[in-house]
Amino acid sequence: MRTKFKLILRPYIYIGPAWLIIGLIVFFPILYTVIISFTNMNIWHWLDYSFVGFKNYTKAFTDLDSGFLNALFRTVLWTVINLVIQIILALIISLLLNVKGLKGKGLYKTLMMLPWAMPSYISALIWKHGMFQNDFGLLNQLLRKLGLEGIGWLNGNVAAFLSCLMVNLWMALPYMILMFYGGLQGIDNVYYESAEMEGANTWNKIISITVPILKPLVMPAIIMTTFITFKQFDIIYLMTMQAGSKTGANIHTVITYAYENAFITNNYGYSSSLSVIIFAIIVILTVINLKSLRKGDV
Amino acid sequence: MKKKLKHILIHIILITICIFFLVPIIYTISVSLKSSNTLLSSDFKIIPDDATLDNYRIMLFEKPFFTWFKNSLLLTLSTVMFAMTIALPTAYAYTRMKFKGKSLSLFALLLLNAFPSILAMVAIYRLFKTFSMMNSYGGLIVVYTGGMIIFSIWNLKGYFESIPVDVEQAAMIDGANNFTIIIKIILPLARPAIIVTGMMIFITTWNEYIYAVNFLTDINKYTLAAGLYSLQGTDYTRNWPVFAAGSILTSIPTLIIFFGIQRYLVSGLTAGGVKY
Repeated sequence: MRTKFKLILRPYIYIGPAWLIIGLIVFFPILYTVIISFTNMNIWHWLDYSFVGFKNYTKAFTDLDSGFLNALFRTVLWTVINLVIQIILALIISLLLNVKGLKGKGLYKTLMMLPWAMPSYISALIWKHGMFQNDFGLLNQLLRKLGLEGIGWLNGNVAAFLSCLMVNLWMALPYMILMFYGGLQGIDNVYYESAEMEGANTWNKIISITVPILKPLVMPAIIMTTFITFKQFDIIYLMTMQAGSKTGANIHTVITYAYENAFITNNYGYSSSLSVIIFAIIVILTVINLKSLRKGDV
Repeated sequence: MKKKLKHILIHIILITICIFFLVPIIYTISVSLKSSNTLLSSDFKIIPDDATLDNYRIMLFEKPFFTWFKNSLLLTLSTVMFAMTIALPTAYAYTRMKFKGKSLSLFALLLLNAFPSILAMVAIYRLFKTFSMMNSYGGLIVVYTGGMIIFSIWNLKGYFESIPVDVEQAAMIDGANNFTIIIKIILPLARPAIIVTGMMIFITTWNEYIYAVNFLTDINKYTLAAGLYSLQGTDYTRNWPVFAAGSILTSIPTLIIFFGIQRYLVSGLTAGGVKY
């Protein structure tokens, strides 16, 4: 009898500590954020806040000046553009790396991994100060050398968005390339040989053999990157809107927007409602993703 | 001949891509060797004419670099140990044991992981204030563990599932208990996943700065990431070469780890890709 009791209890002893931590640091903050989102908590109402119902939520969705809807639209755009470019480039580069008999593959792969290994906040800051800086940044120095005007890389909205896009590609491509390359290793050469016998050219082979076989292998990496890109904070925040060194561009994504409302303008109630909305969006995406994974039609 | 030409073309493309990846890093090294008054000089030599290690000297000896380094090491290693100790049995239980609420709690893990940890900061900040845990490493270790634990469980679980159950059953018949099985059989077999998971926790914690600058107020308690972040003030024109030197010094540990585990990366990471 005792052993049976032990057997039932054992799994919970194994998972107990993990769930205690998750409850404390993951679940509790979410619950608490939901509660704060219904209050007017801010720097003046830190302790004596009161409940205001759905006011913060209506502000996010109906007050066009609030900027949330803009940020949401920009975040979706940011994610889609990033993913499309990353997938295309990673496919091309990994195919090139996979060419039979090519010398120096190992060296190329190692060099391409470097940006992934760099701490992301350092990457963002060396791009900001080293590459994009208006006066002594490398890019403007090069332009002046060529007799051209320097560009305010981070000043206008469009320029800043494209500059951040470039930095994100720089940081995220290595992982994609590695995963695509790993996937390519799993494709049996037999497929290509039989296709060649039927007279298929390189393009046919890529479209009808490589892509279909690669798709399920790289799908987890693509999905993970989608969520990471959606939640990307370091690049946009550090490059354009650090307190004290704003560049004048307004390219808030939902995460930086929520962060600014919490820690710069200290509007905790409003910021929490944004967090809840963002969480809801990601949860919906996760559930859709799981459903399609279960059906197996990835 | 045609093949040779094709290879040359491929090399040109790959070299161009490598240059795109390498230029910011090389330029940062180059700036870190410059004396601050030659920043605007228009030579493009990788090693500037008046190359100096002065910025490294300032970073190492005029800033509390070694204190920050020690703090980072302490905080990061504690987090790795703590998170792994908790994640390993959990991942094992989810792989091998049957219990009530298993699939429901696995699903909950995935959903909870969707909440960006940066948005939880207000709530955790208030929690810490209430229990006066500000400025404490214990608090940060728990926060970092909480941030990495779900990834760790999933990654380890994904790998455990690829280990055939027969080996364990044979050991069980020989009278080994669960604990012995985990230590003697699972841990050695799951080496790639354990190394990669541990190192991912290490790198993420080593590089974390947002929680560190908000939750530590004493500059002598700062980690390297927090310290470096605080260095790049508004007047970065003057500090930029020093910051560049600091960036290089801070990145070296992560670079070493990264390339040390490179051969495990594909097997240790893709195997744990989110499968449900």
